[in-house]
Amino acid sequence: MGVGARATLVAVLVTLLVSALSGSAAPAGSGRRAGPPAPPGALTSPEVASYRSARDYASVPVPVRVRVPAAGVDSALQPLGRNPDGTIAVPDNPDVAGWFSEGPRPGQPGPSVILGHVDSTKGPAVFFNVSRLSPGAEIWVDGADGSSRAFRVTGVTRVAKAEFPTDLVYLPTLQPALRLVTCGGTFDRTAGSYRDNVIVFADPA
Amino acid sequence: MLASGASVPAKAVPGHGHTAAGHTAAGHDVSGHGASGHDVSGHGASRPDVLGHAVADPAAAQRAAPTSAADAALQLQVLLGHHSVLAIELMRGRLRGQEDFAQAASAAAGKNTDAIADLVGSLFGPAAAAQFTDLWSGHLTALADYARGLSTNDGAVKDSATARLTTFERNLGAFFATAAQGRLSPQAAQDAVLMHVDHLLRQADAYASHDYPTADRIYRQAYTHSYAMGRSLVGALVPPDQAKALDDPVWRLRSELCRLLGEHVVLVVSAARAAVLNTPDFTSAAQAVDGNTHDLTAAVDSLFGTAAATRFQSLWGDHIDQIFSYTTGLVTGDGNRRDAAVKRLGGFESQFAAFLDGATGGRLPSRTLAKALLMHDQNLLAQVDALWAKQYEQANDGTYATYQHMADLAGQLAQAFGATVASRLPVGGPHTGLGGAAGMVQG
Repeated sequence: MGVGARATLVAVLVTLLVSALSGSAAPAGSGRRAGPPAPPGALTSPEVASYRSARDYASVPVPVRVRVPAAGVDSALQPLGRNPDGTIAVPDNPDVAGWFSEGPRPGQPGPSVILGHVDSTKGPAVFFNVSRLSPGAEIWVDGADGSSRAFRVTGVTRVAKAEFPTDLVYLPTLQPALRLVTCGGTFDRTAGSYRDNVIVFADPA
Repeated sequence: MLASGASVPAKAVPGHGHTAAGHTAAGHDVSGHGASGHDVSGHGASRPDVLGHAVADPAAAQRAAPTSAADAALQLQVLLGHHSVLAIELMRGRLRGQEDFAQAASAAAGKNTDAIADLVGSLFGPAAAAQFTDLWSGHLTALADYARGLSTNDGAVKDSATARLTTFERNLGAFFATAAQGRLSPQAAQDAVLMHVDHLLRQADAYASHDYPTADRIYRQAYTHSYAMGRSLVGALVPPDQAKALDDPVWRLRSELCRLLGEHVVLVVSAARAAVLNTPDFTSAAQAVDGNTHDLTAAVDSLFGTAAATRFQSLWGDHIDQIFSYTTGLVTGDGNRRDAAVKRLGGFESQFAAFLDGATGGRLPSRTLAKALLMHDQNLLAQVDALWAKQYEQANDGTYATYQHMADLAGQLAQAFGATVASRLPVGGPHTGLGGAAGMVQG
């Protein structure tokens, strides 16, 4: 080792020693208990000093289309909110499905809910065959960015409207999931409504 | 082997590990976090819970017998998640040639094994707990031996460890299948255990070959799988009527928050360890922290919308940045940097508490939450100090307490988040039929 290199090494060691000693002393009057002393020669990598936590994340696109091959569904999606009485709005057009836009988007952590009419006043509508789906059937949801997400049916159930399991359908569990909801059972002519709802549960494929 | 079913005891265990000492005076002195209990020599001895009640022994609190299937599943998830982390740290310590670090991780894994055995015992009795302990301890020893074989390039040691792990997978699968009384096949149980072991071995292989991004990717998979395994096991081990509780949306929300917040703790500590020991895996460890932050932010987006998620990530990122700024200050002897980091953490705690107070419509009072966050930060900084002082046993005790603290906090967050979201959910079932095909509508 040359004289110059040795002098540099000594300077570095002195700097480290001073640095270590200053680190072990509590600032005067702060009342702070200092951290443990820095052992001589110990340094950390530049990556630590320059680290900056993530400030971005992959957003999930708004859904624009749903496709359920086994039920003959291939529909655009209308964003849906809630009515003034707190019930969910339903699609304007019986041949077009709708997505509950106040809940998670399909692929986000939590259940996304898509509604469709089982029939119109004149005949079958967009979700007419949804109740016939079996576990394993595929559902595709296309996003506004051109991406597609696949889900697989895990179960189909029918419940009385009066006992609709709101929490089970809508409450975010932080696990990506999809629900298709339509009407089923017998039609109450007096009320002008079906007595039951059909709920399809699906998980990411 | 197991004569009785796995019905969860109906009565709560008195005390549940909490004393009646009342609220602690965890005042936050931004000019010196050490003044309010930040002490590497004794922080693990007691801690307040998220409401400020003193808990004498975190391990004892974690070992309190579950009062329901939901409690049992959460406890098992938390313990298995911690087990995965400790097993990984044990193996990596050995691969780095840091035997003192590996020994401390091994001791902590032993405490964790005791806690899991207590849980098994509360479900199936002491004989089952003893049998479980033998099996589980044997697999930890085999994992440590596998790492030793890797580090010394000794194929015979590795092969022996692998053979013992294969036997362990089969035996533990049979153990759980018997306990489940037909609700879980031996093959399904064995497959779950096999995946657990596979994660641990593959991360060690990657770490040994200095492929840290792969090692840390599998680290996260192993941790996540531990939570899934905990839920599946308890779901099969308890009677079906009790297992239904695991489908409850609020329980699932709590479980996921528990997993994500617990992962935040263990990943930050892991990255801090890399920073303090100046090992070459810091960058990938920090990227794993970022991955967890992405997942937490996505969760906030799902619960409260994009604007809230953006605000959350900014605050959360500040919090993490200051932990590593403190670490840098400590390691480089820059007291001013440490001071500034502690001061900024004080700002984070109050701002983040106010954010969640607002997001939940006052369901999480900011004053109470700020105290919980103060405790979280103090614990993390104490672990950084302990790692720096090479007091690895204390660092592990601190991680245990901080990790459990996050599990407690997750419970409160899940209740508040669930209630907030529930208040804006649609009412009743939708009217999605007009009767035009009433005669043809199925079912």
